[in-house]
Amino acid sequence: MRWRHLDRSLFLWLLVAGVLLLLVVNPIARLLWVSLQSPSGGLTLDNYVRAFSRWRYVEALINSLTLGLSVGALCTLFGVPMAWAVSRTDMPGKTLVWIAVLGTFIVPNYLSAVAWILLAGPNAGWLNRVWTSLTGAAAGPFNIYSMSGLVLVVAASSFPYMFVFTRSALDLISSEMEDAATTLGAGVWRTTWRVTLPLTLPAIMGAFIVAFLEAIAIFGAPALIALPGRFQVMTTTLWQFFEFPPKVEVAAAYAMPLLAVTVLLFWLQQRIIARKGYIALTGKGGERRMVRLGRWRWVVLGYCLFVTALSFFLPMVVVLQAAFAKAWGRGFSLDNLTLQNVRFVVIDQPLTRAATLHTFVYGGTAAVIALTLALAIAYIVRRRLVPYARVLSYVAMAPFVIPGIVLAIGFYASYTVKPLVLYGTAWILILAFATRFLPIAYANSDAALRSINPEMEDAVRILGGGRLLALRKVVGPLLKRGLAGAFILVFIPATRELSSAIFLYTAGTQVLAVLLFDKSDEGNFEYLSAIGLILVLGTVALVLAGFRLVGRDFMLRRTAS
Amino acid sequence: MRQLVALVFAAVLAAAVSVSAPARAFEGEKELHEAAKKDKPFTWYTAHYNSETAAAICNGFEAKYPGVKCNYVRTTAQVAYQRQAQDQKAGLAVASVISSTDTSHHGRMKKDGWLQPYTPKNLSELIDAFKPFNDPDHQFVATAAGLVLLTYNTSAVSEKDAPKKWTDLLDPKWKGKVSIGHPGFSGYVGTWVVQMKKLYGWDYFKKLELNKPRIGRSINDTVTMLNAKESLVAAGPSATTLESKAKGNPLAVVYPEDGAILMVSPSSILKNAPAPNTAKLFIEYLLSKDCNEIILKNHQDPVNKHVKPAAGAKPLTQVKTIRPSYEEIDKGIPEVIELFRDTFGI
Repeated sequence: MRWRHLDRSLFLWLLVAGVLLLLVVNPIARLLWVSLQSPSGGLTLDNYVRAFSRWRYVEALINSLTLGLSVGALCTLFGVPMAWAVSRTDMPGKTLVWIAVLGTFIVPNYLSAVAWILLAGPNAGWLNRVWTSLTGAAAGPFNIYSMSGLVLVVAASSFPYMFVFTRSALDLISSEMEDAATTLGAGVWRTTWRVTLPLTLPAIMGAFIVAFLEAIAIFGAPALIALPGRFQVMTTTLWQFFEFPPKVEVAAAYAMPLLAVTVLLFWLQQRIIARKGYIALTGKGGERRMVRLGRWRWVVLGYCLFVTALSFFLPMVVVLQAAFAKAWGRGFSLDNLTLQNVRFVVIDQPLTRAATLHTFVYGGTAAVIALTLALAIAYIVRRRLVPYARVLSYVAMAPFVIPGIVLAIGFYASYTVKPLVLYGTAWILILAFATRFLPIAYANSDAALRSINPEMEDAVRILGGGRLLALRKVVGPLLKRGLAGAFILVFIPATRELSSAIFLYTAGTQVLAVLLFDKSDEGNFEYLSAIGLILVLGTVALVLAGFRLVGRDFMLRRTAS
Repeated sequence: MRQLVALVFAAVLAAAVSVSAPARAFEGEKELHEAAKKDKPFTWYTAHYNSETAAAICNGFEAKYPGVKCNYVRTTAQVAYQRQAQDQKAGLAVASVISSTDTSHHGRMKKDGWLQPYTPKNLSELIDAFKPFNDPDHQFVATAAGLVLLTYNTSAVSEKDAPKKWTDLLDPKWKGKVSIGHPGFSGYVGTWVVQMKKLYGWDYFKKLELNKPRIGRSINDTVTMLNAKESLVAAGPSATTLESKAKGNPLAVVYPEDGAILMVSPSSILKNAPAPNTAKLFIEYLLSKDCNEIILKNHQDPVNKHVKPAAGAKPLTQVKTIRPSYEEIDKGIPEVIELFRDTFGI
C-alpha cells in the first residue's frame, strides 16, 4: 500500500498543520459561530441583516474595496520599477534607495498619516504653503483628507511589499533567459517587458494581494484621515459595532464577506499563474548581468527618490521636527529645539522602556513562529504531501483579511477559556502577531519555494536521502536568503502592529504601538513623535544587526558586488 | 491695632497652614495600608487622564504607600468599558478600580452588579459642587473633572475675534476652520453634543455642518488640529489644551458665555477586584490633596477643595458650567451618535 512509501516526516507535517488549524481556524471559527448567534443563544442570520441593511455600512465596504484596489495599483506603480531598477540595472545610489524602502517599511502607517496631515493638510499643510507662496494661488492643490489622500498614505507605506516580493523574484532570474530573447533580436525594453517582468508575475500578484489586504484591514491611518475626510471604511465602521453597547456578533458578520473576497483573489491568482510555468531557479547555475541604462539611469534614480520622498524622507522630517520641538505648532526654529520629549519618554516614563523590550521580543518570537509554520505549510502545499493541501494555503492566507481588531476578538474569545487560557500573558500577543502576519510569511515562503525545482530534492531522495535531509541540505541553504528576508518582513510589521495589540495587551504587556496610539488621541504629537522615533531607530538597529549576522551578502548582494 | 496685628498674624498663619499642611490622614489609613500590602497586584483601568498623568498618579500612590504596587491601563472611555466587559465575560479579575468619562458606563456596571460600594473617608475633601454626581449607593464617586469649552489658535485668531459662545461656531467666517471630536469615540464629545442639542436643538449641528467642521475622534484631536493650524477654532477640552499651551503652542481657551460643559467623571471599585484593599486606598488617594496636586501639575482640574487651580485656569466652581443630567447622558449619547452620523456622514 501507499503507506509504506511515506516517510516519518509525514507526522511532523500533520503536527504543523494541526498548529495552523489551532491558530487560524479556531479564532475564525469562533467568529463565524458568534456571527450566527442570536442573543438567546440560538442560530440566526439576523446579525448579517443588521450588518448589511444600512447603506452607510455597505458604502464603507465599497470604500474599502476602492481603497484596497487603488492601493494595490499604486503600490505596483511605485514598487515594480524600483525593484527592477535595483535588481537589474546599473542605476546609481542603490544602497540609499534600499535603505529608504526599508525605512518606509518600518514607519507605522499611523505615524506617517499624522506626518502627512502636516504635509498635505488642505489649510496648513507644508506642501500647500510652499505651493501658494510659489504660485500666489489662494489655496494649495493637496488635500490629505480625501480618498486619494488615504490611498497615497497607505500605498506609500505598503509599497515595500511590492518592492521586496518583486525584487527577490527578479534576483532569481538568470540573464540566460534574457539572452535568449536578445539573441532572437529583442531589444532591452522588449526583453524586460516580455521576458523579465512576466517571470515575476506571481510575485507581483502576491504583493498586490498583500497590499490590498493590508489596505482594507488597517485602522490607524483611516481613523486619522478618512473620518476628518468624511468617509468611512470597513475598519472605522467596525469600530461602531464595538461601541457601547458592543455588538460583537454584528461585527463578526460584517467581517465575513471579506474572507470570500480573499478566497476569490487567490483563486484568480492561481488561475492566471497555473497556465504558465514560472520555475526560474533550476540549480543549473546562471549568471545575472546589469542592464546598462546610460543617461536614463538618472531618470530612474529620480523616480526612486521621488517615491521614497513621499513614503519616507518627507514624513521623517516632520517626525524629527516634532520629536525635538518644544511645541511643534511653532515650526522650525532654534529656540524651539529641545531634548525634553525624548528625555521624558526614555527616562521619566519607565513604561516606554518596558514597552520597547516587549515590542522587539514579541515581534521576534512571532516572526520565528510564523516563518516556521509558513515554510512548512508552503512545502506541504507545493509538494502535495497531504491530500487537499491547497486548503492549507487558503487557511494560511486567511488571517490577513481579518482586521486586527476582529482577529483580536477571535483570539480573545478562543483563549480566555479553558483548555488554553492565554489572555493576560505575552503569548496571546505573540501568537496573535504570528497569526496576523502568517500570510506574509506564507506568501514569501511560497514564492521562494515555487522557484526551486523539485528535481533537486528528488535527486537527494533518489540517492537514498529522506525528505528531511533534502530539506536540510538542499532546500534550506537555497532558501536561506529568502527566509532572512521573510523574517524581516514579518518582524517589522509585528513591531508596529496596533489593531490586535490594542485589545489583547494587559497591564504588564504594553507594546510601543499601543503607547503611540494613546498619544495620537491625546493631542500630544511631541511625545508621539519621540516614541515613534524610538520605534523606528530601534527597529533599524536590530535589522542592521540582523544583516551583520546573516552576512553582508543578504539582500544587499546585487549592490555590494 | 492689636486686633489688626492679630488678624494679619492669623491670616499669615492660615496661609502657611494651607500651603504646607500635609494631607490629613484619614481614619483607618494605616490599617488599610497594611492590608493593601498583602493584596494581589493592583490594576487601574482609566480614561480620566492622558497617560503621563495616569503614570504620575500611580507613581505618587506608590511613593505615598510603600510596598503597594500600582499598574494602570490608560485608554479612551469606550475601550476601558469594552476591556472590562471582556474580562467580566471571561470571568477574569484584572482591574480593581475603573474610571470612565462616560458616566452611563458606571450606571450600567452598577446595574449589572459588577461594582462594590465604598464610602471614601476623604469624601469631605471633594469639592461640594461635585458631590451631587456621586452614586447615592456609593458604587461610584467623582474623582476627576474637566471642561469642554471653546479653544483657538492665537497665532491666527485675535482674542477679539475668537468665538465667545457656542453659537459663534456657526458663523460663516469659520467655514472650513472649525474642529470638533466625534461622539462615537469620545465621552467628552458625546456629552457636549447632548448638551448642545438640549440648548439649541439638532438645528445647531445642521448649521454647523454648513461650516464643514473637521471631525477627529477624541476631543483631544482638536488640540492637534489647532496646533497644525488646520483648524483655527474648536470645541475642545480644557486640560489638554492648557497643557499644550504651557509647552508653548499658540493656543488659548474661552469660557463660553452660554456655559462650558462640566465633565465630572467617576471611579468605581469592582466587585471582583483582585486587590480590594489597595482599591479602597487608591480611591482615598484620588480624592486626597497629594494626588490632586499631581493632577494640577499635569494641567488637569483638581477635585480636592483644598487645591487651587493654576494661574490662567479658572476654578471650575467659578466658571459658568452646564451639564446634562445623568438620564439625559444615558439615553442621549446613543441617540446623538446616530443623529450625528446622519448629519455628518461618518
